[in-house]
Amino acid sequence: MTAALQDVVVLDATATFWASMGAGLLADFGATVIRIDGPAADSNAGSPTDTPHHFELANRNKLSVSIDGTTPQGRDVLERLIGAADVFVTDGSGESFDYATLSAMRPTLVYARASAFGAEGPDRGLPPIDELAAARTGLMPILPQPGQPPVYGGGGQMYSAVMLAFGVMTALWHREATGEGQVVDVSLLGGNMYGASLDLQAFLAIGGERFLHPVSRLDAGNPMSGTLYPTQDGRWVTLTMPDTDRWWPGLAAITGLDPTDERFDSHEKRCETNRLELIDTLERAFATRPAAHWRSVIAERNLSADVIEDYDYVADDPQARRNRFVLDAQRPGDSAKTLGFPLYMSETAARLRNAAPFAGQHTAQVLRELLGYSEDEIAALHEAGAVS
Amino acid sequence: VTLPLEGIRVLDLTVWFQGPVAGQHLADFGAEVIHVERTQGGDLGRGVRTIKAVPVGDWNQYFLVINRNKKSLAVDLNKPSGREIMTRLVETSDVFLTNVGEDNLAKWELTYERLREVNPRLVYALCSGYGQYGGVSKPSFDMTVQALTGIMSRLGEPGQPPIYLGMGSGDAIGGLFAALGIMLALWHRRSSGRGQLINASLYGAQLFLAAPTLQAFLAAGDQSYARQQSRTAAANPLWNTYPTVDRWVYLCLANTDDNWSKLCASIDGAELAQDPRFASAALRREHAQELIALLDARLQQGGASEWLERCRACGITASVIGNLAELAEDPQAWANDYFVKTHCEEVQREVVVRGLPVGLSKTPGSVRSLGPELGQHTEEILVETLGYTWEQIGELKEQGAIL
Repeated sequence: MTAALQDVVVLDATATFWASMGAGLLADFGATVIRIDGPAADSNAGSPTDTPHHFELANRNKLSVSIDGTTPQGRDVLERLIGAADVFVTDGSGESFDYATLSAMRPTLVYARASAFGAEGPDRGLPPIDELAAARTGLMPILPQPGQPPVYGGGGQMYSAVMLAFGVMTALWHREATGEGQVVDVSLLGGNMYGASLDLQAFLAIGGERFLHPVSRLDAGNPMSGTLYPTQDGRWVTLTMPDTDRWWPGLAAITGLDPTDERFDSHEKRCETNRLELIDTLERAFATRPAAHWRSVIAERNLSADVIEDYDYVADDPQARRNRFVLDAQRPGDSAKTLGFPLYMSETAARLRNAAPFAGQHTAQVLRELLGYSEDEIAALHEAGAVS
Repeated sequence: VTLPLEGIRVLDLTVWFQGPVAGQHLADFGAEVIHVERTQGGDLGRGVRTIKAVPVGDWNQYFLVINRNKKSLAVDLNKPSGREIMTRLVETSDVFLTNVGEDNLAKWELTYERLREVNPRLVYALCSGYGQYGGVSKPSFDMTVQALTGIMSRLGEPGQPPIYLGMGSGDAIGGLFAALGIMLALWHRRSSGRGQLINASLYGAQLFLAAPTLQAFLAAGDQSYARQQSRTAAANPLWNTYPTVDRWVYLCLANTDDNWSKLCASIDGAELAQDPRFASAALRREHAQELIALLDARLQQGGASEWLERCRACGITASVIGNLAELAEDPQAWANDYFVKTHCEEVQREVVVRGLPVGLSKTPGSVRSLGPELGQHTEEILVETLGYTWEQIGELKEQGAIL
């Protein structure tokens, strides 16, 4: 089995979950990703994603070298590593190398920079904390119901992680054609904004209060799309039927409504004239039966709707297992699971080669195999405290 | 200025958001992306009239922004001559990108099994709902798939309805994974000489969107990650949202004694700093509810701007929780090209669109045009790319195979 990126070497000087995850996506698809775990490595302690489980996900399939860049010998090792690398990923923590320094040493290098708020602008130096970026993105106040506290969704940083990998690939593509390296910039603000694309773009174009303040679920623009209705047993059904003409007969059938009811017999009546009345009618209909009933009749008619599930469902969902979205952690005597691989490739599937490394686990291996150091030289470097 | 993906041709047979936005990422960086649309009405996204019950106004930003930098080919794939056009395009393309249903792909002779025969170098990118395997084929829209990931049911205060992460939030991550997958497959093709099938599903991508909490749940089984948690009982009161007189703020501090004393200084909380209930990280965790209640009361004595000024002075990390209007004016977003101004043909004026979240220093992406008119490039593609004669084009039009 070949890997998509088996000919790519990435140096990873990140500490935040999302930036490590961006490099981790490259590792999952076969790049040789080497964490540089210098003594100066630091994390944004306090972040909810600063747990061993997150570290495990973001750093699986990577190697780790531990190098003290403050020693001359250590510096030399780092420079030789850079000379062998295609990509350098930094989130501003750990070993600090600016692009000018690295590109002088290796002009073909792709230098990926993960920041909080982008490389330009007055707030470019703020710490890369996803909550701070989400707070600036404008969605937090409008996610909940009216009168409720703002909501942090937590997913913004994941857009940034995938963007990092995508940006690196785009820059590598350009390098193949020209031999020219460059800087790739992604940020938490950019990722969060992209996740908010549709609300944001609609606000930019048309503005208005419905994009600035929460809209009650009982005042939804389309009673049949993006809506939530409680079931008899306290769970929730959600509908996405934007083209209501297509779905109305099926929805009416499962909710016991008359599909020819004159109040609701056109898209305009359902979504404009009698919108609130339809919401109220559906609210009362869904409350008469439990979630299991709704799941079953939705499936029978192949409607665009589902019951809201929780993480227990995901952990045991055969569909998630079958597609390797969720895996067993594969530690002896351990029932733990982990997120797997969200992207399928028929010829170069993502694979689990090794668990996240401890600092310096692969120092000798990398020095020997990638840089051609002899055993004696490696021993001398250890003795000098340049590597560990 | 050269664009990094110039020379890559993408057939983009997609509708709505997840598929089209994958093509948009490639088009922003210069790929030739041909949005293939049905002759009657085109991409369903062209039909969007309202968003959140607000009329879209004089330009359909939903469609035009997602399909920027693309060409439009209007073709009837139910006609043999329409399918012939697609076959010839597949022969000359690098990527086939789609999020239409499998039944249509089969009917239109556009399955992976067939197209890999037509062009073995083709990267075939499928944006599915539930993944490559398992046979689940129910309708898959963003929110109905997000419903299954569990992320909705853990957000908000206890007892509140589930919370959706925002319009298109799942399509957006699904589209990004498709764009990444295409680049990975193109990269591998350099050495293998062969294309492959990639499948970026909404379900897989949205489970990844949930990773910040789902990973900890899967690994540790801790139910607190799966359930709604009140902000009034946050485990670390120093990492929490707080209301002020006018707006909410987000405080993001590790629960250390140093941060605690800085926070107390910023709110003139000498008595809090002395309070033995909060004298250590463990005690602050133990008495979190009391502490949050006290901070709630204290912060509601002033406005957000004033308090943040004090935070800055004390070296504390915090932010106002802004709205979209504030973001639209945020100099930080503008400085990094996260907004871009561009000309809109439809209304003949400059409009602001979401910009370029991935920055490349030497070969930046750009917004060169907004979404095309339906079939705007049909003749150009048929003549220049495929070598059809004008006479043949006349016949195709008569048959209704093209617009």
